[in-house]
Amino acid sequence: MLEEFENYRVAHHQEAKDWKSKTGGKVLGTLCCNVPEEIIHAAGMLPVRLLGEHEPTTEADLHLPTNLCPYCKSWFDQVLKGKYDYLDGMVIPNVCNIIKASYGFSKYLFKLSYVHFVDIPQSISPEGVEFFAKNIMDFKKSIEDFSGKPISDKALRHSIDVYNENRTLLDKMYTLRKKYPSVLSGSEAQSVVISSMLMPKEEHNRLLSRLIKDMEKSDKALEKRVSLFVSASILDDTDFFKLIEECGGNVVTDDMPMGSRYFYGLVDSKDEPLHALAERYLTKIACPRKMLPADRLAFSVSRMEGANINGTIIHSMRACDPHLYEYPLLRQEMEKQGLPVLFFRGEETATEREQQKSDIEAFIEMLQDQME
Amino acid sequence: MLVCGIDVGSRNVSTTILLDGAILSNCVITSSEEGATIARKVVIEALAKTEFKFTDIECTVATGCGRNSVPFANRQSTEVVCQAKGAFHLFPDARIVINLGAESSRVMRLNSEGKVVAFTKNDKCAAGSGLFLETMSQLLAIPLESMGELSLKADGCEEVSSICAVFAESEVISHIHKGVPKQYILVGIHKAVTTKIMELLGLVGVNKDIILTGGVAKNQAIVHELEQKIGANVFVAPEPQIVGALGAALIAQETIQDRGMPSVKRL
Repeated sequence: MLEEFENYRVAHHQEAKDWKSKTGGKVLGTLCCNVPEEIIHAAGMLPVRLLGEHEPTTEADLHLPTNLCPYCKSWFDQVLKGKYDYLDGMVIPNVCNIIKASYGFSKYLFKLSYVHFVDIPQSISPEGVEFFAKNIMDFKKSIEDFSGKPISDKALRHSIDVYNENRTLLDKMYTLRKKYPSVLSGSEAQSVVISSMLMPKEEHNRLLSRLIKDMEKSDKALEKRVSLFVSASILDDTDFFKLIEECGGNVVTDDMPMGSRYFYGLVDSKDEPLHALAERYLTKIACPRKMLPADRLAFSVSRMEGANINGTIIHSMRACDPHLYEYPLLRQEMEKQGLPVLFFRGEETATEREQQKSDIEAFIEMLQDQME
Repeated sequence: MLVCGIDVGSRNVSTTILLDGAILSNCVITSSEEGATIARKVVIEALAKTEFKFTDIECTVATGCGRNSVPFANRQSTEVVCQAKGAFHLFPDARIVINLGAESSRVMRLNSEGKVVAFTKNDKCAAGSGLFLETMSQLLAIPLESMGELSLKADGCEEVSSICAVFAESEVISHIHKGVPKQYILVGIHKAVTTKIMELLGLVGVNKDIILTGGVAKNQAIVHELEQKIGANVFVAPEPQIVGALGAALIAQETIQDRGMPSVKRL
């Protein structure tokens, strides 16, 4: 069951190509969880999240300086190396500086026929929601022009339902996992979430419903492991969580864009669709780029409800300003919650693993020692 | 009960043998040999001073960055826990342990039971490590062992960047070319190293009852600079290089006690 998610995640390039040849549809690359994917879905296209790889960024280095977010540099490198040659276009949101800037280099270096920039307000407010709703309308029009077909209200409402179903299922999976961590490991849960950003949503919903039924029936014995909470900027594969598991720990819940932030909060299906999308995407996604610290910290703490946590690992990509600025506050908050903290500045390279392993082992041994 | 702790560090391999809870023998070897070979060698050398042989050891715990390369170890434990355990055994009032090794600098905060409650270590930067001092010793053609003493005698200081070991190296070369007295440069180097250590201390919370372990603790100028910056006494472990091995040996002893294994008979 879980292999189906993991196999798709690992072979996502080939899967997207197969989807294209089977359906004749278009595939659009997206960045960050702030892009209202429902618009792409309603147009009959497949949104796929761009991912990096743990390999030297030889192509990206020819264009970009070294002190950039390693994740952004890595996906950029993957595109330049032709790994995303099946993309018909890209949708870039106005989030951090580097992703915002990637609109320019995507438009002029990748030679794609469609690159759209979705502007997002800098802070959360009712006026911001109205502004964002207008931008989502522009985004919808731009997709309609690109596909040559209008997106009906019915189609958009259907897409909202499909995405809401996915969010509800992922949330249920997280709740079960917090309660029974041995039923689904951290890396397995992460594989399910990341595959949701790559797979057609209907297919993901079908598989996820089956997985949840299996989880509810599971009689896997409880394995005693150190339970951890992870707050991260970007972890675009399961390697870091697997490393934690190798060291005797297990991530039971998280606060990260490629984790719980992706599916938190539903779109109000009774509201006017564009306004409802703006409301959810602006106010519910707990991104430090737009959410004030007090709300961010409250969100982070709320992710731990119902879980028995022994410690926190904070992982921020090097040069990820929004998350690095938040780190001192987050650390303080975690310590206030009685949780020891281990901090990493990630590099998205394979060579950082050994150093991380040694620190995680020490952290887990320290926590085990405290638990005795 | 004869137990052994081995600390396979990036520069030195050290061992402590405990007999019924008391230190029977220690040994430190500097080597770049393969972990398995050097680990056996250091234990044999430590035992050569005693009436015991290798097979008398009931339990061995390995620590250090090469802890997984000791084939005869019964278990492994991390440097953080072993350094803290060893230091707490020597100084039961210890609340902060600063371990300054060849490549890593760590700071651990302990509770009143000696358990680690927080720790931090140097990032990817080598500016606070023993290898940094070793590089500087080669540049200045001053033996590593004399650096501290010479520095303490200096009546001036030439600043050295604490940001990057590579930049610091070019700075030192430029100071040498300008004819700056070497002892002034040494003071700058020691200030740079301790600045990095103070950053780590700041992260876990400065406290009193600070214990210094690891090879760098042998450098009196580092101890002096730290005391100046902290404004309190810093206690140096009597044999700072074996504290990790001692902690590992203590864990070996606890492992046997937990299992209820009988003690080995004395020969």
